[in-house]
Amino acid sequence: MRTSLRLILPIGAMIVSTMIAAATPVHAGTLANMERERAHLIDAILDAEITPADRQARVETAQRRLIDLERMVLRDDGLVGRNTPHVRRAFANYDLTFLVHASAEKNLAVADAWLEQLGISTQSLLAAKVGRH
Amino acid sequence: MRFNKRLTATALALCLAHGSMAIYGTAAATEAATWRPVASEKLVKLPANYLKKSLDHDFAKSALAAAITDADAELGLKGQTLDDLRMAIEQSNGELAVELRHQLLTQKREFIQLMQRKSELRRRHMQTRQKFLEGLLNKINQDATKMTPVRAQLVTAQESARERFQGSVGKADLAVLSAPAVPESKYARQYAINLAAVENLITTIERHPMNTHSTMRDTPANKQDFIRQMQADTQAGLAILDQERSILGFMAKLVALDAMALSEQVMDADLADSDIPRTSGPADAIKYFVN
Repeated sequence: MRTSLRLILPIGAMIVSTMIAAATPVHAGTLANMERERAHLIDAILDAEITPADRQARVETAQRRLIDLERMVLRDDGLVGRNTPHVRRAFANYDLTFLVHASAEKNLAVADAWLEQLGISTQSLLAAKVGRH
Repeated sequence: MRFNKRLTATALALCLAHGSMAIYGTAAATEAATWRPVASEKLVKLPANYLKKSLDHDFAKSALAAAITDADAELGLKGQTLDDLRMAIEQSNGELAVELRHQLLTQKREFIQLMQRKSELRRRHMQTRQKFLEGLLNKINQDATKMTPVRAQLVTAQESARERFQGSVGKADLAVLSAPAVPESKYARQYAINLAAVENLITTIERHPMNTHSTMRDTPANKQDFIRQMQADTQAGLAILDQERSILGFMAKLVALDAMALSEQVMDADLADSDIPRTSGPADAIKYFVN
């Protein structure tokens, strides 16, 4: 009886720890939340109705939230190897997905980093001509 | 005195006959003794060291293990009977000695049968274990092959993203959170506290004496290697059983030769005591014709 307990207890504990690890909820929402916040940030960048000061304030607020959300996604073990189109697309382009960290890495403003990813630079804008459709 | 000897021999024979009947009774139980281990997901996830212990424990609880233990106990008793008989033979002579030698041979035959039965049970154990380990290895390999090229590409992208992120954490903090008016976020604060706790726990786990990695001959091994080693050990067990079978064959042959020798000896004695006159040639009959 003692022998079997001696064997059952560690195995049981091991199984429980494995089950706890397996049962840890996968936060599929981290990516969706981050993308929602990024959409707000881009919306603030593109909003032509607001003043530059308002834009600056909105961008800074969104950026502070986004920096945490980006870290949550990058630290989310539940996303590792999750082979869904959503996750694949997110990790296919680091610079576009993790906008705040990528812009800090390149010493660029978030708006500039985003526009650069889209192929729009100050030079290309200055060189553009107004035309008609 | 002669009556006493006959009584002893009869009592001994009855005891032996009872022993033989007990053996045949357990034979049916032996046939039903099985062990059916299941390669469950839990077992697949267990560390290699615990996998072996868990498997051994599962076997120890099975009907097959109980049958092997029973066979062992019976063999012990039978060996004792053989010893007793041998000692009795040394102290006896005449008819009783012949009778006891006959009983010794019968008991030896039954001992060999018991050994064969135990060997069969052990073989069943080894074969089941081998089959189980094969199934387990296949299951683990299936899990490993779930890594498709697209998934592998995703994992690589995620790893490089994490590396890049680690390199830019400080810069991002400086760029976004450097202003004195901007407080550190609740997430960042709590994350730092939790990270310290996690690192502390990881260090404790790494130092834990039970957290030793599975090794094969003092070399660290992964789970597949460990299972393959277990398979090789089981195969070795089966090979040893084959060898033991030939030993049993030799034992059986020796018993048969002893039986022939005893039979010949008894027949010689019978012939010597016979009242039938010896056939003689014409030369012996001369006395009837010569005056």
